[in-house]
Amino acid sequence: MNLAKLSPGARGRITKIGAIGPMKRRLMDMGVLVGETVTVEKIAPLGDPIEITVKAYKLSLRKSEAEGIAVEVLP
Amino acid sequence: MKTAAVLRQALSPQKVLTVAVAGNPNSGKSTLINALAGTRLQVGNWPGVTVEKKEAVLEYQGRKIRLVDLPGTYSLSPYSQEEVIARDYLVREKPDAIIDVLDATNLERNLYLTMQLLELGLPVVAALNIFDEAQNKGYRIDTGAMEEMLGAKVIPTVATRKRGMEELLDAVVDAGEGAAERRPRKLPYGGDIEAAVTEVEKKVTDLYPHLAERYPLRWLALKLLEGDRQVLQETNLGDHHALAGEASRHLQQAHGEDMEALMADARYAQAAGLTREVLRKPEASRVELTEKIDRVVLNRFLGIPIFLLAMWLMFKLTFDVGNPLVDWVDGVFSGPLTRWTKALFIWIAAPEWLGSLATEGVIGGVGTVLTFVPLIFAMMFFITFLEGSGYMARAAFVMDRAMHALGLHGKSFIPMLLGFGCNVPAIYATRTLENPRDKVLTALLIPLMSCGAKLPVYALFTGLFFAAHSTTVIWSLYVLGIVLAMAMGIFFKRTLFRGEYPLFIMELPPYRLPSLKSLMIHTWEKGKHFLIKAGTYILGMSILMWFLLNLPWGVKDKKDSVLGRIGQGLAPIFQPLGFGQWQAASSLVTGFIAKEIVVTTMGQIYGKEEEKQEEPPTLGEDLKEIGLSLGKAITEAGRNVVATFGVASLAVEEDEKTASWRGALTEQFSPLSALTFMAFTLLYMPCMVTAVAFRHEFGTWKWFGLATAYGLVLAWLVAFAIYQGGRLLGLGG
Repeated sequence: MNLAKLSPGARGRITKIGAIGPMKRRLMDMGVLVGETVTVEKIAPLGDPIEITVKAYKLSLRKSEAEGIAVEVLP
Repeated sequence: MKTAAVLRQALSPQKVLTVAVAGNPNSGKSTLINALAGTRLQVGNWPGVTVEKKEAVLEYQGRKIRLVDLPGTYSLSPYSQEEVIARDYLVREKPDAIIDVLDATNLERNLYLTMQLLELGLPVVAALNIFDEAQNKGYRIDTGAMEEMLGAKVIPTVATRKRGMEELLDAVVDAGEGAAERRPRKLPYGGDIEAAVTEVEKKVTDLYPHLAERYPLRWLALKLLEGDRQVLQETNLGDHHALAGEASRHLQQAHGEDMEALMADARYAQAAGLTREVLRKPEASRVELTEKIDRVVLNRFLGIPIFLLAMWLMFKLTFDVGNPLVDWVDGVFSGPLTRWTKALFIWIAAPEWLGSLATEGVIGGVGTVLTFVPLIFAMMFFITFLEGSGYMARAAFVMDRAMHALGLHGKSFIPMLLGFGCNVPAIYATRTLENPRDKVLTALLIPLMSCGAKLPVYALFTGLFFAAHSTTVIWSLYVLGIVLAMAMGIFFKRTLFRGEYPLFIMELPPYRLPSLKSLMIHTWEKGKHFLIKAGTYILGMSILMWFLLNLPWGVKDKKDSVLGRIGQGLAPIFQPLGFGQWQAASSLVTGFIAKEIVVTTMGQIYGKEEEKQEEPPTLGEDLKEIGLSLGKAITEAGRNVVATFGVASLAVEEDEKTASWRGALTEQFSPLSALTFMAFTLLYMPCMVTAVAFRHEFGTWKWFGLATAYGLVLAWLVAFAIYQGGRLLGLGG
């Protein structure tokens, strides 16, 4: 399962960040780390990007960027 | 300690304390700087890049403090331009102290940067900003405990209300002068990482003492362990150096993660631990205002209509606010100022050409600069408001899918939209885009947005040739521009700007009402900067154009002027497009000054000379005629630029103006060649002031050159296709 596939309202725990280089670094710098819990809040009206909550703040990222983030779905 | 500081102060009373201001984007850093520095703020660019640099020198209790605003960053990693600038400044310039601005409502993520700032070993003062909002949310932050853990002073601040500013400056002075007792406490990174750091530190000191002197030791050791590319390059240590290679390999094996991830984890673990210690949040969190607004603003069905409405409002306001002011500035310059200068030159019996140069070249040029100031001010005001309120990020969120398909970013939409009013503020508005690639690509496409100044050209030609369908024709030209912008976006995306996309990953900050004062200061700084920097270029170009149009001095036939000769030289190029007359070519050349001058020039060239030759002109009349020529048109540039939506009223206005020479135009153009001429005018090149905006915003002529080059080629090809296609269809030529 990856973050891009979660539907709005769903929560997940990050298990792996597949991105490399600048993208990985940027994600980590913004607190998107393995073990972190994320909630998908909204999907943009045109279907992309998505909005998530991580570390109690809101972050938006493109689905192509979210695809590299593996998550396990939390109830 | 105290005495030493006092002594130092007495010995060198003029020592200026240099203080860098760092912080996350949306932490209220700009507002805090504004609150501290007010109008003393100087806005410029960091050398070699288009990132904004703000500086101010203030006096505080007899001391001089130089504040240097670093770009807002989440980290000091070596990837984004902003982060590189911030860390280079901190590492190389070694400021006396750092103010770290933290958003008190989002402590953990903000502390992540603080951890990295502390690693530099410079005195840090933490400004716990937006403290009021945190309190309103019921957050309780134990600043005392926080100071203990950070080993740095922590000052609660509310920059929008100027609260905590004096305490902050006191702490900065203490820290910067070394009077503060505490030293930044080393925050341990967990057993094995700390051991590795110590090991590397020792090796550096033993083997490369010069590096230990040049860089903060702990920071250097951490960077070497992380394998930071930039540090490795700067220190010439190479990839497989003996200092940290082995240590980091061990760590990676032990943790099963690469070093960068390991360090990010370690820093966040510290930030999280610290936050747990000092922050008490209320149990049940109510639905926040931001969430309520977002439910509407980002709604699946309402999101886009609301966005378009907001954009329409901003566009209307920018150009409606700017418009009357533009007219006023224009009136002053083309009226009294020009008349007085002329009178002055007659009085001192200066040569005629000098008077002409002074009024048309210099005053005309200054007038042009000033007419754009209201637009720049209005645009900057609204853009700053959109950014400061938090809506800009939402706009990008809503539009990104559509813009991304063209190789652009969600935020590209706003500059492109402004382009329909005037390309000049549009180019400046690209500064909302953080990534250089997004920024340049957006700017390159802006000239295809048919600006307000092109309307008089359309109005003239559609009035003459397509009177019954003028609205349809004008709208098709706008659509043509948009379609070509899409095509060029995709073209650039696949050629010149191929490769990886810049990241979109972007915070959606809570909605906040920006303080009016902060908005004003920001807008004023931008306007002032435009006036000085861009103004110099525009004035120079305006004088250059005067020579082009008036040499050789005293030329009787317009055909023999430099402009006329250029027109004759260029005419054959336009032959296959259906308008191979030198008059048309000359008009296009002057259109570089401002697009509506195409019409002015046509009026001058096609206009009958005999009316003026009926009686010998007196000196006064002579000068009056000069006043009618191009210099006046330059000062009028701003007016039509903003008459964006006034298609109907413009057409009426043109009617009386063009009455005398419309006959000549209908002889020289056919409906088909009129159409190609309009299409060519739409596409061929950005105007002079846009050129300066390109230069000013990007620090190079390169991108303006590219915009012009592709514009000319595209304009020729499209005009050729329309004209030759039309002829094939038997539409006449």
